[in-house]
Amino acid sequence: MNRFTRLTLALGAALTLGSSLAVTRGGTMVYGRYADSLFLDPVLNDANLDIWILTNLYDTLLQPTPDGKRVRPGLASSYKLSPDGKTMTLTLRPGLRFADGSPLTSGDVKWSLDRARNPQNGAWNGSLASINSVTAQGNTVTLNLKQPDPTLTAALATFNAAIMPQKLFNAASGKNDAEKARAFAEKPIGSGPFVLSEWKRGSYMTLKRNPYYWQKGEDGKALPYLDAVRFEIVPDDNTRILKLQSGELQGAEFIPLSRVAELKANARINMELFPSTQVNFITMNNRPKLNNGATNPLSDVRVRQALNFATNKDALIQVVTYGTGKPMRSFMSSTTPLFAPQRGYPYNAARARQLLQAAGYGNGFEVSCLATSGSANDLALLTALQQMWGQVGVRLKIEQVDAATKTARYRANDFQMRTAGWTNDINDPSQITSYFAIYDNVESLHTGFRNAEIERLFGQSQAETNRQNRAGQYRRIQTIYNDAAPIVFLYETPYPVALAKNVRGFVQIPLGNNIFTAASLEK
Amino acid sequence: MRWTYVLTRLLQIIPTLILAAVLVFTLVRLLPGDPASAILGDRATPEIVERTRRELGLDQPLPVQFARFVGRLLQGDFGISTSLKVPVLRLIAERLPVTLFLTLYAAVLGALLAVPLAVLAAVRRNTWVDGVIRAVFQVGLSLPVFYIALQLLTLLGARLGWFPIGGYGDTFGEHLYALFLPALTLGFNLAAVLMRTLRASVIEVLTAEYVDFARAKGLRSRVIMTRHVLRNAMISTVTLLGLNIGALIGGAVITETVFAIPGVGRLMVDAIFGRDYPVIQGLTLTFAVLVSLVFLLTDLVHARLDPRAQHA
Repeated sequence: MNRFTRLTLALGAALTLGSSLAVTRGGTMVYGRYADSLFLDPVLNDANLDIWILTNLYDTLLQPTPDGKRVRPGLASSYKLSPDGKTMTLTLRPGLRFADGSPLTSGDVKWSLDRARNPQNGAWNGSLASINSVTAQGNTVTLNLKQPDPTLTAALATFNAAIMPQKLFNAASGKNDAEKARAFAEKPIGSGPFVLSEWKRGSYMTLKRNPYYWQKGEDGKALPYLDAVRFEIVPDDNTRILKLQSGELQGAEFIPLSRVAELKANARINMELFPSTQVNFITMNNRPKLNNGATNPLSDVRVRQALNFATNKDALIQVVTYGTGKPMRSFMSSTTPLFAPQRGYPYNAARARQLLQAAGYGNGFEVSCLATSGSANDLALLTALQQMWGQVGVRLKIEQVDAATKTARYRANDFQMRTAGWTNDINDPSQITSYFAIYDNVESLHTGFRNAEIERLFGQSQAETNRQNRAGQYRRIQTIYNDAAPIVFLYETPYPVALAKNVRGFVQIPLGNNIFTAASLEK
Repeated sequence: MRWTYVLTRLLQIIPTLILAAVLVFTLVRLLPGDPASAILGDRATPEIVERTRRELGLDQPLPVQFARFVGRLLQGDFGISTSLKVPVLRLIAERLPVTLFLTLYAAVLGALLAVPLAVLAAVRRNTWVDGVIRAVFQVGLSLPVFYIALQLLTLLGARLGWFPIGGYGDTFGEHLYALFLPALTLGFNLAAVLMRTLRASVIEVLTAEYVDFARAKGLRSRVIMTRHVLRNAMISTVTLLGLNIGALIGGAVITETVFAIPGVGRLMVDAIFGRDYPVIQGLTLTFAVLVSLVFLLTDLVHARLDPRAQHA
C-alpha cells in the first residue's frame, strides 16, 4: 500500500467516522397521526392516542428500553431493593427541572405517585397497588411495599407513574382533582423531552423542545436534537401517505399493511416495521350457554382446539397482513418479557375434523363472529376464515357492528366470537396475563375462561422476586392457556411507520410509545 | 318584504329545536354502548366502568338526565365532552367556522360552475356541447365524493404540487388555498345536482311567451338572459341549493376526513363512534339551527325572486 492510498483511506475513514458522529440539531419534524390525542393527563386518561404521546411530555422515574424488554434509569439515576424485597429506594438525578424551569423535587415524586396509585383515580392505579406508602427526603424517594412486587420497576417506567409538578397542578383552576386535571391537561408542563406549545384540536399539536431536559445526546449537549415536533392529524390513510410522499410530512403512522411493500420500494422513504407487542386473535365465548339460552359448542375444548387447527395462520398472514405478521406462539407477543413459545396449532384440517367428530360436531355447526364495521382487516380475515373453517364443516357468520356496539355486546357476554387485538402498556407479562387468563379481572377478556392452576401460579408470580422462578411460572401459565385455547391464536403484527429518508433516531417502542427524544432531521 | 313574515319564520325554529333536542337525546341513548365503555375500551373492569358512569351522571334515570341537559341548555351550556374533557360549546366554536367556510366555498364554486354551464347547455341544447356538459356532470353525480377527492389530491396535490395535500392553514388566504381542492370536490358534486334543474328551467323559461315578447321588443340576448330568463330559472335552483346545504354538511364529513380538515363533520363522526353524548347533542342542535336558518334564507331569497311566495 503506498502512502497516497493509506492517506486517502485514513482520511476517508476519518470523514465517515466524523459524519456518523455528528447529529444535526434543530428543525421541526412533522408527523402525521391518524387521530388526535384526547386528554393529556397521565393518570386519568385511557386511550393509546394519549398514552403513546405522553412520554414526550412527562418523564417517569425509570424508562422502558427501546427493545421493550427491560427498564433503565429515568429521572431516578438508580434504585435499590431491600433484601426482603419490601422497600425500594430511588435516587433522583441532581438538578432536575420541569419544562418551565422550576425544580423537580422528591416532593413532586411523592405527590405524583400518591395521585397515580389512588384507587379513585383512573383505570391504571392497580399497577402501583403494592405500594403501601411513599416517603420523600432530599433527592431520595422510598417506596414501602405491602409485599415484594416483581412488576414494580416496570410499573414505575409506565406512563401513569409520570412525575408531574405538584405546585403547578394545584395552581390550575378547578375545585377537585378531576377539574384541575382538565385545566392542567390543556397546557401540561412535565419534565419530558418536549413541552406542549400549541394545540388546535383535530388539526395539529406542536411540541417544543424542553430546554431543561436532563438527558444528553451523542454530542454531549442536552437532548432532544429537534427544536419541535408537530403532529398533524390526517385520518385518511391514503392522504397521510400522499402527504409523506410530497414532503409535507417527515413521518406517518399506521400505514396500511397492504401498502408496506410499495413504500419499501420507494427510494425516498424509509418504511419501518417496528417490533410491537401487538397480538391479533379471536376471542371465543367459552361458556356452556349463550345469553339467549342456546347451547354453545365453543364451551368444548376440543371444538376450540379444532378451530385453531383449522386456521391456516400462514395463509392469513399473507392475505391480511401482506406478509408482515408472524404466527402467535403464545397469548403474549414474542416481545413480551418472559414470553415462552408454545407448540401452538399448526394448520391441520384432518386433526380439526377428528376433534370435531369426537366432540359430537361431525356435521359441523354454525358460529357467529362480531367484526368492526368498516375494518378492511376484519373483513379480509373473516372471509378467509369462512373458507378455512368451511372445510371442516363450521359455517362462520360475520356480524359487522361499530366499535362501541361491539364493546357493549362483549361486555354483556352477548357474543360467540369477536375479532380483537392487544398491545401491552407495561414492560411486564403480568398485565396481559391478568386480562387474558384471570377470571376476576374482566372474566378473562370476557371469554369466561377460568383455570385454577393459572390463577394460583399467577398469584405466586406477582410476589416472586426470583426472575428464574417467575419465568417458570409464566412458562407453565402459557402452556396451560395454549392447550385450553380460549381464543383463536392468529398473528403478531408490527407498527408500520413510514419516515422521510433524513429522519434518524425515531423509535416506536413495542409498547407503542412514539419516542422523539433522540430523533433528528439530517441535512 | 314583511318583517312579521321573517319573525314568524324565526319563531317557528323554536319548536323544531325542541323536537330536535328530544329526538337526539333519546336516539343516542338507544344506541348500544355508552360513553363510559367507549372511552374506557374493552379492558376496563366493571367497577371502573360503573365509577365512570357515575362521574358522567349516566347512572341517573333518563328523565333526570334529560332535565339536567335541558337545564344546562337554557343557560347556554352544552356540557363537557366525555372523551375530550373540554366544553362542547368551545369545540363547536373552534370547528364550526371551518365547516361553514368549506360549505360556503363549495356553494360558491358549485354555483360558479353550474350557472354558466347550465345556461350554455340550455342555449345549445341537444348539440354536442350540451352532451359533453351533461355527460361530465352525470359522471360527477355517480362518482363517490371520496373518489373524486383522492383523484384531485393525487393529481393536483401530489403529482403537480399546486395545492397542499389536506390541512386548513392559519390565515384567510391560506384557508382559501388549502380548502380549494375540498371545496372543488364538494362544489363539483353540488354543481352536478344544480346543473340539471337549472338547465331544465332555463329551457322552460326560454320557450315562455314573455321571453319571446322581450325578444320581439328587440332586447339584447344578454339582457334577456340575465334579467328575464335567469331570474325566473333561479327560483327553483335557489330552493334546491338551500335544500342541498344540509347535504353539503353531510358531504363535508367525508371531505373533511380525506382532506384532514378540522371541521365539525369529523367531530361528529368521532363523537358518534365515541358515544360522546354531549358533543352529539350539541352538534345536532347546532345543525338544526343552521339548517333552519338556511331554509329561512332560501325562502327569503325565493320570496325576493318571486314575490308571490311570501303570501302563499
